[in-house]
Amino acid sequence: MLDALIQGILLGGYYAILAAGLSLMFGVVRFINLAHGDLAILGAYLVLFGVEILGLSPLAAVLAMLPVMALAGWIMQRLLFARALGSGVLLPLLVTFGLGAVLQNTMFGLFGSDTRSLGNHIGSLSWSSWQMPFGISLGKLPVITFAVAVAALVALQLMLSFTKIGRAIRATSSDPEAAELSGVNARKVHRAAAAIAVALAGLAGAFLAMRALINPYAGPTQLIFAFEAVVIGGIGSLWGTLAGGIVLGVAQSLGSTFSAQWFQLAGHLVFLGVLGARLYAAHAHHHGGWRAALKLPRTVQPRAVEEDLP
Amino acid sequence: MSTDKTRTNTNTFTRRDFVRLAGGAAAILGVPATARPAIAQGDDVIRVGFIGSRSGPLGVFGEGDPFLVDKFNANMADGVQVGDKRYGIQLILGDTQSDPVRASQVAKDMINSDHVDMMLTSATPENVNPVADACEAAGVPCLSTTAPWESFYFGRGAKPGQPSPFKWTYHFCFGVGNFATLYADQWSLVETNRKVGVLLPNDADGNAIRGLLLPELEKAGFTIVDPGPYENGTADFSTQINAFKQEGCEIFNTFPFPPDFPVFWRQAAQKGFAQQAKIVQMAKAGLFAAELEAMGALGFGLHAGAYWHKDFPFTSSSTGLTCNEIAAGYEASVKKQWNQQVGANASLLDAAIAGLATSDNPKDKAALAAALSTLKAETAVGLVDFTSGPVPNCATTGLVGVQWVKAAQGPWEFDLPIVSNADHAAVPLTGKMTPYVLQG
Repeated sequence: MLDALIQGILLGGYYAILAAGLSLMFGVVRFINLAHGDLAILGAYLVLFGVEILGLSPLAAVLAMLPVMALAGWIMQRLLFARALGSGVLLPLLVTFGLGAVLQNTMFGLFGSDTRSLGNHIGSLSWSSWQMPFGISLGKLPVITFAVAVAALVALQLMLSFTKIGRAIRATSSDPEAAELSGVNARKVHRAAAAIAVALAGLAGAFLAMRALINPYAGPTQLIFAFEAVVIGGIGSLWGTLAGGIVLGVAQSLGSTFSAQWFQLAGHLVFLGVLGARLYAAHAHHHGGWRAALKLPRTVQPRAVEEDLP
Repeated sequence: MSTDKTRTNTNTFTRRDFVRLAGGAAAILGVPATARPAIAQGDDVIRVGFIGSRSGPLGVFGEGDPFLVDKFNANMADGVQVGDKRYGIQLILGDTQSDPVRASQVAKDMINSDHVDMMLTSATPENVNPVADACEAAGVPCLSTTAPWESFYFGRGAKPGQPSPFKWTYHFCFGVGNFATLYADQWSLVETNRKVGVLLPNDADGNAIRGLLLPELEKAGFTIVDPGPYENGTADFSTQINAFKQEGCEIFNTFPFPPDFPVFWRQAAQKGFAQQAKIVQMAKAGLFAAELEAMGALGFGLHAGAYWHKDFPFTSSSTGLTCNEIAAGYEASVKKQWNQQVGANASLLDAAIAGLATSDNPKDKAALAAALSTLKAETAVGLVDFTSGPVPNCATTGLVGVQWVKAAQGPWEFDLPIVSNADHAAVPLTGKMTPYVLQG
């Protein structure tokens, strides 16, 4: 049980990195990026390219990948997302869905359908562990992933709290029009947020490639986990994504101690439970709090009937 | 023309491809008119559709096809002799894009627009079953390989003990019985406590193996530890690994969704199970060297089964190559280490030609289907014999036990000796099985 708890928390670190970018995009730009998982895989392939073709060390390749992905995010926001943003809810979804398909097939064309991994480039790090009391083993890679997740979120928090662009991002995310009136360039802020989000996606992809195998079509599965972590943790909340990732990871690993089949099911159930609770909370909020909402049918129905009459 | 079809479905079209294509076209045009009457006259050309995954997630299964088709076309340029008549052969290639829906559509298009006389397909039930279904519905003879015969036969609605519902579709491949024979032998080659931890997902293959293979293994004297079905894409296997450790399993067997295996095995090394296992038998995963290379040092010593191997002592009659030549030719043309599927696809072409040659009239679909039902042919994977199959419409071919070991010399990182031939006695052993040791 304790073992499952620890493994679940560590797994949550990976989900947090993956979800942070998605959450940032939604919180600041109000934009749902369905290609987020595919961008993560693209980041992983860029690291593989750096290691295998350019001969960089894995660490250097990851560090080199981040600005490239950030630039890609900046360009995508400028050329693609910003244009889709003003045209309703559906268009951004369709655009990013299409972008995902384009990314998958581009990666297939460039790298082929062979499964690849970074694990063989980081030596024994991908599978060695520290032995703890009570027969618990802490995998080195999961611990590092978790530490990087926390470090990335702390860095992001510091940036949001203490820098000019951070203040602009916070201002834009809470009220874009008021921010514009105060001299913040919202388009610029959106581009900055997209750059950070896509770089974070690439970082998550790099860790995925160290732990598992990737292929050009592996993105959509990752997107589901990212979405669940975001929803559980609270959309647009930075530390919420870490909490959401941990809750998702723990739910999965505890679920699998119950039955091997429950790994994903438990995660999905927690996600649905939180989503349901959030919807109900929002509903209650609109109707004067929990107590009033519970009495809802009696007070609201007669009025609805009246309105229906001509 | 077949060369056009070949090229429209590949993704990358390099300058070299263009030169080769242009050269091929020039060569065909350069042949004197008398040498190609078969190609000129529609009635004397047998049109054979060949559908496989040439792009998408399963694209790796079709990577050797352009090479095989080149060799096939060169070797079969004179056509095939059927009775006292000589027919030309035209291969028409189709790409399923690794999508069962697309596979069905490609097959229907080929049947309706290209009027194929015969269909070939291979590699995974995702390709084989929809193509075979389309052929069965349209009354086109279809020959297929490389999907467990149970998933071809029972997976398409046949019932045990009842007559076969299929008239047009024929399949040769290994099945559960082959795994039982192979494992009983291969797992006796290394001293263990005969306790087997199995990792079987909740999918068609996993459940079929759980229902059919595990009882056979128990009969053979192995103790099975099954922590239960899990969903593909699981990211944490602590529960299963802890169960295997507690039970002291020294043999491990899995039929996973291939990308899940390295996740499991790295975690098994973190938690000390990889240090305890002596036999690590993969199926479905570990078919391709690229998967092993992605595992790095953890991959050395893993065990697997193989449906084709470059050291098979057979010849592919349709391409005119020995198994060693197929592997070498594949490596030279694709620039990757040989894989099992290129040999299996060669065997499909071999069996197709043998079927055509023994039919009374290859343009008569019923006669061709009848010929396939009693086909007995030497192919690149060995003897394919539909007269002694487990059920009508199916023939079994053997599996050999192999072990991925560190190559003694380049250019490839891994070598794959044959360590068990109990299920395929015609194949000689090329190595001795050793226990799995972490990092080789």
